[in-house]
Amino acid sequence: MKLILFYLRKLFAVVKNEVIVLPSRVAVIFFFLFILLLPFFTDDIYILRIFTLASIFAIFAASWDLLSGFTGQMNFGHALFFGVGAYSAALLNLHLQIPPWGSIPLGALVGVAAGLIIGIPSLRLKKTYLALTTLAFPIILLGLVFTFPGFTGGELGISGIDKLAPTRVQEYYIIAVLMLGLCTIMWAITDSNTGIIFHAIREDEIAVRASGVNTTRYKLMAFCLSGFFAGIAGGLYAHFMRIAGPSTLEVSLSFQVVIWAIFGGAATIYGPIAAVFFLYPLVEFMHVLKDYRILMFAFIVLLVLLFMPDGLFRWLRDRVEEECPRCKVRNIATRKICRVCTAQLH
Amino acid sequence: MKLFKKLIFVPVLVVALTVSIWANAFADEIKIGVIGPMKFVQGISHWNGAVMAADEINARGGVKVGNKMMKIRLIKADSNEFLSITDATNAMERLITRDKVHFVVGGFRTEAVMAMQDIAMHRRVIFIGCGAAHDELCNRVAKYYDQYKYFFRGTPFSSTNLVRAAFIHVGTVAEVVRKELAIQGPLKVAFVAEKAQWADPMVPAVQATLPKMGMELVGVWRPSPVATDVTAELSAIQRSGAHIIFTVFSSSVGIPFARQAGELKIPAIQVGINVESTKDDFWQATRGHANYVVASATYARDVEMNEYTKPFVEGYLKRFGEMPTYTAGTYESIKMSLVDTIEMIGTLDPDKIVETLENRVYKTPPSTIMYVKDSLGRHTHDIRFGPGYATGLAVQWQDGKLVGVWPNGWKPAPGVEVTYKGMKPIKLPPWMIQAYKKK
Amino acid sequence: MSLVVDIIISGVISGSIYALLAIGFSLIFGVARIVNIAHTAFYMVAAYCIYAITNYLGWPVVPAMFIAVIFSVILGMVTYKLLLNPIREHEGAVLIATIAIAMIFEQIMSLIFTGTFLSVPKLVEGFFAVLGVKIFYQQLLTLCAALAIMLVLLLFLFKTKFGLAIRSTAQDREVANLMGINESYVAMITMGISVGLAAVTGAIVVPLTILEPHMWNPPLIMMMAVVVLGGLGSLKGSFVGAFILGFAEAFVVFVFPMGAFFKGSVALSIMILVLIIRPEGLFGVYFEEER
Repeated sequence: MKLILFYLRKLFAVVKNEVIVLPSRVAVIFFFLFILLLPFFTDDIYILRIFTLASIFAIFAASWDLLSGFTGQMNFGHALFFGVGAYSAALLNLHLQIPPWGSIPLGALVGVAAGLIIGIPSLRLKKTYLALTTLAFPIILLGLVFTFPGFTGGELGISGIDKLAPTRVQEYYIIAVLMLGLCTIMWAITDSNTGIIFHAIREDEIAVRASGVNTTRYKLMAFCLSGFFAGIAGGLYAHFMRIAGPSTLEVSLSFQVVIWAIFGGAATIYGPIAAVFFLYPLVEFMHVLKDYRILMFAFIVLLVLLFMPDGLFRWLRDRVEEECPRCKVRNIATRKICRVCTAQLH
Repeated sequence: MKLFKKLIFVPVLVVALTVSIWANAFADEIKIGVIGPMKFVQGISHWNGAVMAADEINARGGVKVGNKMMKIRLIKADSNEFLSITDATNAMERLITRDKVHFVVGGFRTEAVMAMQDIAMHRRVIFIGCGAAHDELCNRVAKYYDQYKYFFRGTPFSSTNLVRAAFIHVGTVAEVVRKELAIQGPLKVAFVAEKAQWADPMVPAVQATLPKMGMELVGVWRPSPVATDVTAELSAIQRSGAHIIFTVFSSSVGIPFARQAGELKIPAIQVGINVESTKDDFWQATRGHANYVVASATYARDVEMNEYTKPFVEGYLKRFGEMPTYTAGTYESIKMSLVDTIEMIGTLDPDKIVETLENRVYKTPPSTIMYVKDSLGRHTHDIRFGPGYATGLAVQWQDGKLVGVWPNGWKPAPGVEVTYKGMKPIKLPPWMIQAYKKK
Repeated sequence: MSLVVDIIISGVISGSIYALLAIGFSLIFGVARIVNIAHTAFYMVAAYCIYAITNYLGWPVVPAMFIAVIFSVILGMVTYKLLLNPIREHEGAVLIATIAIAMIFEQIMSLIFTGTFLSVPKLVEGFFAVLGVKIFYQQLLTLCAALAIMLVLLLFLFKTKFGLAIRSTAQDREVANLMGINESYVAMITMGISVGLAAVTGAIVVPLTILEPHMWNPPLIMMMAVVVLGGLGSLKGSFVGAFILGFAEAFVVFVFPMGAFFKGSVALSIMILVLIIRPEGLFGVYFEEER
């Protein structure tokens, strides 16, 4: 009993001193609560569908950020991992009767392999060349998909895949909780030493190499991790939509994820996730505007880029938070002195 | 800036919710969802056909359901299926769960229709497909009858039958070619099918069937469905000495193919499936070079299949300024398939409607509909093909006019001859006649 | 034998189309380091302009082409000034911005002209036969235009003062700025030239193809493959790369008539192979300081 109280008090202290202090962390808590409690506020299947799809795309976007935002390897063919994950999970489920909790991770492993396949040629390429090369990979795979329709189902894709769960609400929870978990893991990766190295590779690869770090290994690791998470997103998508088709490999999907990530703020992990949850439902609910939907979407993106080129959510965060010049800890912007080292903030 | 964005999100959400609540307030209406790629011709056709049907029915007072008169309310849903399958599934789900429609008609792209079908069947909502020809859609009905029985094929008839019809057309054209050019020996046929999955099974079919029809297959070409320059293929086809070009196109490649074949004066006649060629604006799109192209179609000016054809075609022409295409089949799906059945049994209950509809034989503007069972005796809700039922037409562009050329003295079986009103004879391109007279 | 002739002629024609597009794309990349995903979208806008003018106003093709090109150039320069110049420092943002611009153009065209397939009259009708292969005069025109434009551009870049300014900005932006060249102005004019090239390509090539709101997608992929293969920023590389990939495509179409659909993938695979061996493309210059 006393033990429980102790831990409760500790939790309370942590929340008071670490979480409430920063608006961005409060926002994250609210986001978690929102996602977890959504089914209690609405049982409208359509809204749950929107947020389920948003969760899948959030994992996808975050995985892009892990690779391209952090290590700077601009990946314009991210749909490759998504499509590979979707098709693999679908094929495993259909032909080998592996249930979703098996086919999705296995599909993700195929995504890792795809990461290696793209990663190795990309090691020597720089920025724009890399971007355009990665763009080519899903297109080539798409060509292969159409050339072997017997195996891949051609334009119709693979249908008749198992559902993730019997009811929409259950599906929602599986995917949403998975999203929260995976994104937390991705965040943890970027916060760790590995994450620092990723970031450093983006800033100045030669300096990192000069420091004795094997950048090749880390770059390949980034590709594989990104491929893994995107593959999971693809597998979830296949089982949710119950169909895995060539639409999972489209160029527009690759572009879409880049737009989401940069709109939200690259190299942040939370940026792309927030962007997906902001833009995807917005575009869906704008269906009352019918024909002008995509136009509005593109306009919003352009406007945000003009005024906040580092990303919307990074801009928001910078408005409300300030970094202490001495101890580099983040503080809420309304404070005059740092909460940790009491240095002047402005 | 961010405040603006926050502010606009809320009113939009409110408007969306209000509209959907308001929509449900009118409970004494029959809500029919029309789903299709509304920014494209196919979706526009879906909507037009549906609007015509709904207006006609509402004008006569509505639908008699038991002892109540109910009006029809159409709800348009843009599936955007050409660009996004998720959009299509979202739209279907919105129609069913938000707008709470009783029935859905429409659909075009097979990949999307399969996914949309899953959703409608899951919710036990009757869905009449008006655009996708894939056999699998009806195979599912046979295989999983209890779940999929709510799906019926509206138009076109299945791929298998489309192919059958195309072969018949090729044979008919071959007869004309042989007679007019006095050719001995087998006629040479070049087969050009867009590289799309639905056309793949046709290659072995063509390889097997043409020799039996007394023709020689001189080559198979598979351009991309969205190819814009087919001069390479056309050069090769000319070199092969083909008399007939058997086309299988449903996408945009049908336009440059006809245009460039006409511009290059390839001495062969095109016949087969070329969906773009059945549209009124094909002539302009090919800049007048599409003369003598023969293709399968559902409607043609001045052609009557039965007593419903002319009023529908003329009504459509008058109201929308162009000939209807097959996706306007939403008209008969609503008016004849759904409403007539509802009035017959006096209820909106989907199970009862399915039970009655699948056994009906009834006339619609393009044909007489009877639903077939497969070889195991299971219902497929697929349309029967054959004389007296659904046959479709073959049309040919003749000097800027699209005229009907088949069935014109078609003899499918001994003692049976079919000719619809308004048929014209097939013409061969003069440059082809010249090329062969020179020989 | 005639198969080989077919391949050569078809390859030359495709090559010239890609060369026209790739040169424009390469130019703006070399000078302003902008990967203009909307390049082919401008090509589409020009094509629709020509359609609108010849169809709704009934004017003949040649004046329509001029107006379309001028309109596109102005549109391009305005777009650059308002939307791209402010965010030039953030390369990622520029990329996305050009994607968004392309999407906006596509949507506007779709709204005005709907998704129906349209076509535009040829500048020169008719065809002729060479070694048993029929060629449209329009296709010959494309080839001549590609060569002519290449020549004019080379003269402009190497013989005029402004050309010198462009070349120096392409080589080293900061130093050019120090030397007194208004590199923002140079970038804007280069954008105009680049878009102008895209528009001219549209005017010449579009009668051979179909007009619809997604028409900017397939040439975009091929054009980027060409530019990467040839080496970003190198005009000579774009020209050569265009013909290499043009021939590769023609080869696939003729030798594998069943796999005509696969030609895009083959071209891209060639590009990747070349890049593995030579990461800066065939003629690209490898900037060590590029960050």
